[in-house]
This record gives sequence, structure tokens and C-alpha cells, in this order.
Amino acid sequence: MSSFDIEFAAVTDIGKIREKNEDNVLISSDLGLGVVADGMGGHSAGEIASNIAVSVLAETVRKVNNEQLRIPDNFLPKLAPIERKLLMAANLANAAIYSTAQSSDIYRMMGTTLTGVLLDKDCATAVHVGDSRLYLFRDDKIIQITTDHSLATEHVRRGLLTRAEADRSKIQNVLTRAMGIKKNIEFDLLKFPVKVGDVLLLCSDGLYKGLSEAEMAKILHEGHHTPIVKLCKQLVRISNENDGQDNISAVLIKILPAQKVSFGQRLKRLFSRS
Amino acid sequence: MTEHPSLVGQEISGCEILNKVAEGGMGAVYKARHKALNRVVCVKILSPALANDKKAVELFLTEARAIAELDHPNIVNVYNVGKEKGYYFIVMSFIEGQTLSVMLKKNKILPIGLVLDLFEGVLLGLQAAHEKGIIHRDIKPSNILINPQGQPKLVDFGIAKKVDKEKGSTKTTELAGTAYFIAPEQALGKDLDTRADLYSLGASLYYVLTGQFPYNGKNTIDIIQKHINDPVPNPAKIRSDMPGWLSLAVQKLMSKGPDDRFQTAKETYLYFKKMRAEDQLRVKMGNSGRAIDLGEEGPLRIVKEEKNTTTADKESLKKLRAQEAAVKKRTTSSSRLPLIPQLDASVPDATQRKPAKKEEQVKMLEAQDVKPVEVFMPAKRSSGRFSQDGKGASVLASLKVLGKLIVFVPLFIVFIWGVSYLFHTLGTICSVHVNPHAGLFSNLLMPFFADQYAPKQLLMTGAALATLALVLASSVIKAFSRSTLLLLIVALVSYMAGLFTPNVPFMDLTNLSQFIFTPEYYLCYLVVAVAWAMGLCWTLNRTVSQGILGASLVALSLVLAFLSAHLTIPPDAQNFAVKIVFYVALFCGILCMYYLIARSEKENMLLPLALLLLSTVGIWAYSVSGLAGNINHTLNALTQRIEVKASNNAQITAELEKMVGINSNRSLFSTIDKTNELTGLSDQDALAFLEEKVNQEAPGVFDETTKPLFLYFLLHYYRGGESKMEFNVWDYTLSFPVKNFNRNAEENDAYFFLLALLYAFGTISCAGNILFSEDL
Repeated sequence: MSSFDIEFAAVTDIGKIREKNEDNVLISSDLGLGVVADGMGGHSAGEIASNIAVSVLAETVRKVNNEQLRIPDNFLPKLAPIERKLLMAANLANAAIYSTAQSSDIYRMMGTTLTGVLLDKDCATAVHVGDSRLYLFRDDKIIQITTDHSLATEHVRRGLLTRAEADRSKIQNVLTRAMGIKKNIEFDLLKFPVKVGDVLLLCSDGLYKGLSEAEMAKILHEGHHTPIVKLCKQLVRISNENDGQDNISAVLIKILPAQKVSFGQRLKRLFSRS
Repeated sequence: MTEHPSLVGQEISGCEILNKVAEGGMGAVYKARHKALNRVVCVKILSPALANDKKAVELFLTEARAIAELDHPNIVNVYNVGKEKGYYFIVMSFIEGQTLSVMLKKNKILPIGLVLDLFEGVLLGLQAAHEKGIIHRDIKPSNILINPQGQPKLVDFGIAKKVDKEKGSTKTTELAGTAYFIAPEQALGKDLDTRADLYSLGASLYYVLTGQFPYNGKNTIDIIQKHINDPVPNPAKIRSDMPGWLSLAVQKLMSKGPDDRFQTAKETYLYFKKMRAEDQLRVKMGNSGRAIDLGEEGPLRIVKEEKNTTTADKESLKKLRAQEAAVKKRTTSSSRLPLIPQLDASVPDATQRKPAKKEEQVKMLEAQDVKPVEVFMPAKRSSGRFSQDGKGASVLASLKVLGKLIVFVPLFIVFIWGVSYLFHTLGTICSVHVNPHAGLFSNLLMPFFADQYAPKQLLMTGAALATLALVLASSVIKAFSRSTLLLLIVALVSYMAGLFTPNVPFMDLTNLSQFIFTPEYYLCYLVVAVAWAMGLCWTLNRTVSQGILGASLVALSLVLAFLSAHLTIPPDAQNFAVKIVFYVALFCGILCMYYLIARSEKENMLLPLALLLLSTVGIWAYSVSGLAGNINHTLNALTQRIEVKASNNAQITAELEKMVGINSNRSLFSTIDKTNELTGLSDQDALAFLEEKVNQEAPGVFDETTKPLFLYFLLHYYRGGESKMEFNVWDYTLSFPVKNFNRNAEENDAYFFLLALLYAFGTISCAGNILFSEDL
């Protein structure tokens, strides 16, 4: 049981010029999970890669929760259980995409980004690879939690390009890490406490290319009382109006104070569980 | 690699596909036979993955047509371009022979003359392409084919590579160009011109001459960034037989800024030609080398660079330094702080924030990587320590566990024995204070509030408290951590054994066998069952089997509680309160079982424990309620009949105060003052007084054993009121079964049987903890 109530919303849009939507999003309030994956590779390979990523991730988390699947003891034993669970799920998803990619010419070179957040108690644990992003909106400020795994960002990190140069660069879409490209890949694992009022935004690169951080913060601030589904649609719509060159996906997660559970509900839950 | 099933044996553009030669990200290359010309050709097919991308296809065709126009001996010939059967293809000449990289690998080291011959050819081909405005973008030794005549041919002419260069195209993990030979401007995503090819050519030349890549790094990004930022290496340091001019030429080609390089392929070619001619001249003239002074050579002025050559790069160096400083600063702070996004500080510049992220990345080292296949294991927990993979590791692990067993289990046995002996001794000393009429709780606590302590009692109490502290502290030892509860129970039982059966010698088990299945031992089983169930309630992350075991132990505890407290007087089922207690107890028991089976959250560890105790006590109370009901009934009758005059103490005091002239405001209290004629009497006198009254009102009702008991209750009634009496009655009745047990225990050694059970249980669970607990 979580100490908060959590609301989820997800929207994905094909954008203005693309013929296919290679993004995939998934939210599950049962698991406390929100995922965005942005696939790549021609044909329908990108769609398939991102689809495998989100579904295998969610399915593995579910199986581990239900004890249908056990995390091996020697799998990164120093990490917290939730981190191990998420990492194992991400690894399995990567293995699934990789083996699919190897199985056919059509799917060769397919890959996907993945940014997922698992909420547990008062902590958010994120797993991340690629150039999708996780933002945290807190106290009217928005902050990017994840680091893009793109060559441009890598250059920025080393001081070879400025952020502005990187945003215009041709190598912006060259990823340094993605799922499905190699058998074993490195994931970023991030863990941070959340508190009531926080909004987490997961998005594909389509969204942040059409919306600056300031604009995002403004929309989230003004939409403080708007239902988050509406807010999510609004973010995607505005980004699409501004840019729309790519698929646009967004997942919003809002942390609300835990509601008092009435005795009746408790009783109901009690019997429904047993 | 999978063979493209539909293509081999098929015909495309009049060519019969024979077999696949190579495969890259953008497509596959097939060996084929041109039917009309009857010659072997090479057919390149655009990857089906890209065939749907209109932009990609357009570029593929435009570029291929441009190269088809080239027709240069150092560039592979293109015969045909087009689309057939849904495949975009290029038909090229097939070149027998090998690539330059294969040649290098075979021969380890190539003569400088040969290398220069080959590269002069490449430069000519490149010049032809550049004149047509075509940039290769991926010059590298493996794209230079050497035919059997020793003629170099440039292949893979930027054809499909241009596809993913276009801005706005799809995401990719591949950068056009190969990391080892990539030009800095290409790596930075800047606009390219033909001079980028010259950089790659220079890097290739470096590689072919020395056998080493100009830059090496732990990953592609690292290498790419070294191309951008690191000083140009000197090939002459690796290969000493290299003419000085060649080493400088390679370095000039590899300059960071395009303006510092040779500006065209032709210029490079001519320079090579000239310098080689001069070399030959020098050879002819002997070693004096007067004719040429290398130091005064015009075009070759290599700027001595620290790390960067151009002003732009110097700017970036400054940036880098600042970054590094930022990184250091961030690392020291973030290594101590939890990973909290720092929102309180003003949102830092995005570029500054990045470096600290390194800390948060979890490095999936190869060694730690788990192969996906191994991940799927049946969801069982009991596999324990021994099931770890790797024979050596498992042997080592089992030895370690064995060592722990040998050390900790005997230690535990000694410890538990010591605790129990100490508390038994304390109990024996305290046994002088036991009041046969008082209830269990009164008797347990009374010795410590007695008027006069028994000899050595204080000393032993101190020792017992110290032992308790030791027991609690022992939970720090991981092997003992789950036995703390059990140790506490053992302490209590030992104390009771000493207190209530002081005449039985410690751990005397002689009479055990005849009673083992009789009701007299039910209480022992109850304690063990409850202790075990409590242990399971206390367990984090219970497995399903543990949950079911716990639930059945709870059920067993309830049954045993009912049985061991069962009296000949049936429960007082008429009493509404008793009924409520019974149902609440049942409900608590069921809730506890539910918690054990269905949930195992951390915050709910105490709840099932409380539920278990509550339900056991409730059932126990229900079981003995008949007795309590009877006693209360009799006492009510008695108290109604017996008249005890209220004393006039209060009045006297008030009058006295009036006389003296003080006002202590006692009037408020005096109205509820319970003083009566028993107040001032001593216990013995009061009891005698009550006995007289009872004999008057209810002659012949009580016999000699029950009379003192009732007198005891009555005394409490008149001194402390009804609630105090009821408390004493319930204390008495609740502990009545224990009293029976105590009486029996003097004969049947029940306490020591219980202690023996607890020892065994504790030792087994301690060993089990060491064997199976993962976090020890």
C-alpha cells in the first residue's frame, strides 16, 4: 500500500508528419508504474520494439509482485528490492527486443528508448535509457531528472557543445544507448522521494522538442486544478502545434494525499483480497 | 545473421543473386551474376527497414546515380540503380580481392611505399568524387578494396549513410562514419564539406601505417570525443622508419579545424608525390641530405597544440575546465547526500546539472550481468543459500554457513540455558511472596512490591534485568535476531517455573512420559504454538507456505486456548459481554489469519501480533467466564446482605478543622471518601470481621477452602470498591487454569517440559535462520 494516492494519465499522438506512431506508453495504477518508450527502426520495427519494451517491463513487474517470478539472488544483491525488480524487468525487456531484432531482417537494428517510473511508498524509482525524459514538477519548478543518452548531450556534458548548439545539432537524434541494440545494456537507475503535490512527467523527445521547460512548467502550474488527463492532452496538443515533426507522448503522474479509507472499503478490500 | 530467404536465387535487374557477401545496417550486399554480360557483379539492396522511408529512398537513388556518372578507376563502378520487386538496388562491379583492413591484419605491417601507393590511388578517387560534390563520409580501411592487380577501389560511397544524416530523420544509434576515423566536425554534427573525408583519410593512414587507431577509448563516445578534443598523435612515435614529412602530413590531415588540413585531395596527392620524389633524390644523393631541409618545408606547419587548435576549440576547453570543476564539486556533495532532485536551490543550468548524474547511474558490469535465460526461475524461496550457482561459490558458501552453525548454535544453547536458569532461580527466591488466592498477574508482580524482600532477591532481580538487556542486545547478532521473542518467553516461563513450583529441581523431566498426551500439558502446547505463530507474525516478506503455517498455528492456538482453559463450569454464554468477547476474539483470530496469509507489509508487523494475543486471551476469557460468573453472582448476593457502616471519619475531621480554624476544602473529597469501619483495621482484623459477617448471613455455604478466597474478594470490595473486586475476580479466574497447571506441575514437571520444548524450538529456529535466511 502506498502512503499516497496516485493519479495517472497518458497520451500519445502521431504528430503532424509521421506516418506511424512508434511511441508506446503504459500506465498502471495497480503496479504504480508509468512508462514511455520511443521506438526506432524502419517498417513497423520501431512500434514493435517500443511495444515489447513497455509490455515486458510491466508484465515482469507484475509477475515479481505476484511471486510468479523470482529475482535471482545474485542479481545485483546490493540494491533495494524495488530497484532490482525494475532493473530486472528492464533487462528482460531488452533481451526480448534484442532477440526479436535478431530473428528477422526486417527487425534488425530496431531499438527503443525507455523511461519508466515505479512508485512505491513515498519513493519513485526510475529506469532510463535513451532520449525520453522524466521531469519532476515540484513547487512550481520543473526539473529534468534523467539524462539523455544522446551524442549531443554527451558532447554538452564534456563541454564540446553548448546546450543551445546541441538543440540545433544534426546529431541530436543519435543515441548513445538504446534498448535492443545490444544484448546487455546499461540502464540509469534513479531513486528519489516524492511528496504530495508532485507531478512527474515522462515524455518522448517529440514533446520536449515542441515545448520548452518553462512552457511545461507554466502549463502544469496553471493546470493545478485541472484533471491530469486534460493536462496531459493539453501538453501534447501544444507541443504538436509548435513542432509536430515527431511522435509525441506524455505520461503524467500526480501525487495526491492518501484518502481515508472507510471501514466499508477496508472490509471490501479485505474480502476481495482473500 | 539470417539469410534473406527471398533473394538468393532470384533475379534482380537481370542479375541472378548468388550469395550474400556482407550485411550492414543500411542493407545487404550480394554476389550476383549479370546474365547478359555473363560477369560477376555485386548487388546492394537497401534494407527493407528503410525502403518505406521516402526520403531515404530518394537519397539512395540520387547518390547512386551520381556515383554511376563518376567512372573512375579508383572508385567502384556502378552499373545500374533502381527498384525491382519492391527492393531498391545498386548493381556494382564485383571486386575480387581484399579490403585494406584485412590486408593489414594479415601482414601485420605494410611497407611504407605500398601504403603510399595505395593511398595515392584513394586520393585520386576521392578527388574525382569531391569534384562531383559527393562526400564519402565514411573513409576507413575496410572501405578500401584492393583488387588482385593491387589497385585500390573506394567502396560504400556515402550512399545509404547519407540517409540518417538528414535532420529530422528517425532516431538511430549509429553515427554516420566510424568512430575510429570520424572527423571532429562530423562528430559534432556540424555541416560537412569534403575536408571531413581528408580527416578520415588521415586517420586511416595513421592506422594503416602504425597498426593502431589514432584514438582509443573505453567506448565509442569516448573515442569520438577524443577526435574532437585530444591532441593529434604522432605516428612516428610508433613507427620509427617513417619519413618525417609523412608523420607531419598525417598530423596535418588530422587537424581539428578543416582550415588547418590540406584543403583538397589533389593537394594532398601532389604533396605526397613531391615528397616521395625528394626522398628518392635523397637516397640517390646519399645520407648527407643537403638538398632538402625538412625544417623549411613550406606547406607543413603543424601548430603545436596542447589540446585544441582553433579558437573555437579553446572556448570549448574553457567550458570543459569549468565543467570539470563543477563535476568535482558536485561529486563530493552528492556522494554523501541522498539522491534527491535539488529543487530548493534555484534550478541549476542544465549543462551544469548533467555531470552529477554519473553518480546515479548503476553500472551493469559484465560480471554482474545476469543472462536473461537464467532469470526465469520458479518462484520458490526455500532454495536458500546452497542453490547459488557456481560450484566453487556454493562450496564456499556452504562452508561459511557450516562455520556459522558450529559457532552460533552451541552459543545459542548455552545462552538460552543460562537465561532460563537465572530466571528460574529468581522465581524460586520470589516464591515466598506467592499468595494462593491472588491471580496470576498479582503473583507475578507482587514479589517486587513486597514489604520485605527475600534474601538475595534484589541481587537476582538486578541480574535478571541485566540478562533481559543482554537478550535484547543479542538481537544485534544476526543469527539470534529472530529468537529475541522466544528468549523473552523462555525467561518468563522459567521465572514462573521457579515461582510456582519451587520444590521441583531445575529441569527435572523424570515424570514426563506418562503425561505427554494428557490435557495437563495443553498449556505447554499452547505456549509453543503461540510463540511460533508470533515468530511468523514478526517475519517480513512471508512466503505463502509460511503464511499458511502461521494461520494454522493461530487456529491451533485458539483451540488450545479453549481446551487448556476449559473448566467443568460451562462458559457464561448468557452474559452479553461474554458473548461479545467471544465473537470479537474469533474475529480477531480470523483477521490475524488473513493478515498472515494475504499480507506481509512492514508496517503491519505488530497488527497480526496484537490480533493473535487478543484472540487467544479472548478465547481463554470466554472459556473461564463460567467460573467468573459464578463467583460474581455469589459475591453480589453477599455484598447486598453484608452491611458495613460507613465511618464518620470525614465528619470528625471536618469538625476538628472547624475547631482549629483551618479550611482545607476537604469537603469536596470527603463526599467520595470510601472510608468505612474496615478502613482502620489491619488485614487480619478486617478478614475476621468479614468472616463473622459471612457466617451470619450465609452460614454453611462455604467450606474451609473457598471461604478465605471469598473473604479476600470481599475485603477488596469494601476497601477498593466494586471495580477492584471485579478485577481481582477476573485475575483469579483467568489465572485459575494456570493455577491448576501450577498445581499439576509440581507432579508432572510441566514447566520443564515446556522449557525443553522451547529450547528445542529455539535451537532449531536459530539453525534454520542461519541456514535459510538470506540477509545473514
